[in-house]
Amino acid sequence: MGRGLIGLVVCLLVAIATLPASGQAKTDIAVVVHPDVGVDNLTLADLRRILLGDREFWPSGVRVTLLVRAPVARERDAAIKTICEMTEAQFRQHWIGKVFRAESPAGPKIVYSTEMALDQVTRTPGAITFVEASLVGRNAKIVKIDGVSPGQPGYRMK
Amino acid sequence: MLLPHVTARVATIKAATIGVALCVFLAAPVVSFAQGTGTTTGTGTATGTGQGTGPGTMPGHDTAQQPAAPDEYPRLKITGFADLTFNTTKYVDGPRGFNEGQFVLHMASALSPRVTFFGELSFTPRSDAGTGSPPATGFNAEVERMILRLDHSDRLKVSVGRYHTPISWWNTYFHHGSWLQTSISRPEMVQFGTRLMPIHFVGALAEGTVPAGGMNLTYQGGVGNGRSSVISRAGDPGDSNGTRAYLINAFLKPDAAYGLQAGGAYYHDLITLAAPDGRDFKERIYSGYAVWNKEDPEIIAEFSAIRHEQDIGGPVTWTYAYYFQAGYRLPQFNRLWKPYYRYEHIGVNPLDAVYLVNPVNNLQEGNTLGVRYDMSAFAALKVEYRNYLRVEGQPRNYGGFLQVCFTF
Repeated sequence: MGRGLIGLVVCLLVAIATLPASGQAKTDIAVVVHPDVGVDNLTLADLRRILLGDREFWPSGVRVTLLVRAPVARERDAAIKTICEMTEAQFRQHWIGKVFRAESPAGPKIVYSTEMALDQVTRTPGAITFVEASLVGRNAKIVKIDGVSPGQPGYRMK
Repeated sequence: MLLPHVTARVATIKAATIGVALCVFLAAPVVSFAQGTGTTTGTGTATGTGQGTGPGTMPGHDTAQQPAAPDEYPRLKITGFADLTFNTTKYVDGPRGFNEGQFVLHMASALSPRVTFFGELSFTPRSDAGTGSPPATGFNAEVERMILRLDHSDRLKVSVGRYHTPISWWNTYFHHGSWLQTSISRPEMVQFGTRLMPIHFVGALAEGTVPAGGMNLTYQGGVGNGRSSVISRAGDPGDSNGTRAYLINAFLKPDAAYGLQAGGAYYHDLITLAAPDGRDFKERIYSGYAVWNKEDPEIIAEFSAIRHEQDIGGPVTWTYAYYFQAGYRLPQFNRLWKPYYRYEHIGVNPLDAVYLVNPVNNLQEGNTLGVRYDMSAFAALKVEYRNYLRVEGQPRNYGGFLQVCFTF
């Protein structure tokens, strides 16, 4: 009885130890743009201005179409927290205010899956979105952040 | 004098007009859905990283739009704001008890990739409702803003219409959405209906942002009608004199200090006082502000100096107004609580002939201490204590205020 109990506890401990830790390294989030967007690199400040609607046009003159995952998605959280340094509530309030101030005709467009994000970003001129780097296909155009690509040391979107 | 049956007919026509207008507003959201820009059709499936929202989980408000085809225009979106406030003060100064605030509808409609219409309508309860002939309506409907804008690029956007005059940060950042602002009320220097500064501006505006080495310089330059002879109003039907008003506004949002915004503005107009007075006064307004636009902390400081001088010569008078507000979103309790404090001052020059004819309340010292509680992502409860002194030597007034405000 006693040995059985000890065995059970040991098994539980082993199982807990082998569970993925919550602090396990997160995979990088890639910034994907429409293939015709003539930009290969963005600074973190550029990305922030795009996400907050302060920058609405690419250098070519095409309007930026911001595609953001729905709330709870990791890509959205990473973008809002890493780039905007905001909470979800602050981000929503920012965009309600942005449209209300007549600074932008509409808020970001919502995409509900990685597939939808990748599909829309290739179909919409000027589009930009955030997708887990390991799920991005070869045909998608990924831009660097501060000169660093996803997977390289120092990449900041995780 | 109108005959009774004519008066009744006029009243009927007005009622019918208001009815039709309300029907249009109520029908508008349906129209917007029909145009393919619905906001709640979350039918996507959660695949990929497996964290998307399924059907029925509305992400919420402005950010909840399905990607639309590029050629689907116009794309109309309507947002609303409303509030209800309870006031109690030692001495009567403004409304008492429960006070319906403004019911505000905001419309944004993309007409093409570069042309957008923005509109803002407010419905404000009238204290003279039911009086007069024909009887005054219960609410005063007002076109607060009506802007048609062409976006050439980030560096140049040109628009025409009716604006909130961009010479005050608060006036152009929060507009009529009390839910957006931390406090219950606006600072008194930019209260709606004030005669101190022109709150609205009818004309044309050119604006844009240039990177300026990471300083992100935004400029605005405008020409318009300036104030009406009733100086609390803009010249909606036309200018009250032959001299247009113009304004210049510029501010910086440096990348290196994310959250900081600082700038200033200059406004020039010729005011013609209402008949039979009819005198003309040159008006110049200089303003500046600095804002730390984050919530931990939020700091807003703004000042304005208003200069009046009769155009045929005479004494020059200056009136100064400023406020300082600080708030802090508490990290505890799910970041739902935000205490704040505001100090404000309006020193009306007693020799200013414009303000002698169109009185402006002096505010020697105003203190506001409050807390905002965000009861949901789109509704907030605010509680304030205000203590203020209008004129040195007069009794100090104080009171408590409670507001429920929301966006929908």
